[in-house]
Amino acid sequence: MTQIDIETPLAQLQEISSNKMSIIMFSGTADKFIPLGVLSQAAAAIGMNVGIFVTGFALLAFTKQHHELPFPTEFADMAPQISQGMTQNNVASWDTMLRQAKDLGAQVYACSMMSGVMGLKMEDFNDLVDDIVGAATFLQAAEGGETFFV
Amino acid sequence: MDETTTGRILIDSTGSPCPGPITDLALAYRRSKVGDLLELWATDPGIRTDVRAWAAKTGNEILSISDSDGKIVVVIRIAKR
Repeated sequence: MTQIDIETPLAQLQEISSNKMSIIMFSGTADKFIPLGVLSQAAAAIGMNVGIFVTGFALLAFTKQHHELPFPTEFADMAPQISQGMTQNNVASWDTMLRQAKDLGAQVYACSMMSGVMGLKMEDFNDLVDDIVGAATFLQAAEGGETFFV
Repeated sequence: MDETTTGRILIDSTGSPCPGPITDLALAYRRSKVGDLLELWATDPGIRTDVRAWAAKTGNEILSISDSDGKIVVVIRIAKR
């Protein structure tokens, strides 16, 4: 635990308490990967430490084997319109954004338990994945920062 | 720090959506020196507040945020590396 001195200036306190963003990436649909890319890249750009814990169906998007992310059925009708809008607005793909975040220091971890359940080993993951870790490792790394479940 | 070697660096992020402009700024910041002026051009309106968040987080100074020919122009002085 970080000891905070009563004389510590406010700016420094903010740095201690909120310079970390962690995302638990669980969902496996295309729409949920857009905020993953945007928030990771933006947080890394403003100098935050970014850690992403990938589990559940989201793991499929991090394998070497090409995996087309499905749109959730309730929004499937809007998928072509969204794709076209993203292209017209020059929005980068989620993996391009995540790659940029990693270039700025973000770390991506695959959940060891779900990797095992899905029969995925380190060599099955693409270069976005830094390591396979247990839940406690991620929780310890995320402690004291902002954590989102996607 | 040798002030005579500082410069003004232009970052053109026009047409790039959020979080493109703030990322372009972060990448230019990596290569900058204390005293440098960074001039960021963007069209995504999110940059007006994003650049304030970036400056607060990194300890740098915004000199101006203005509109010019349909683009937003932000001038930043690098105070901290």
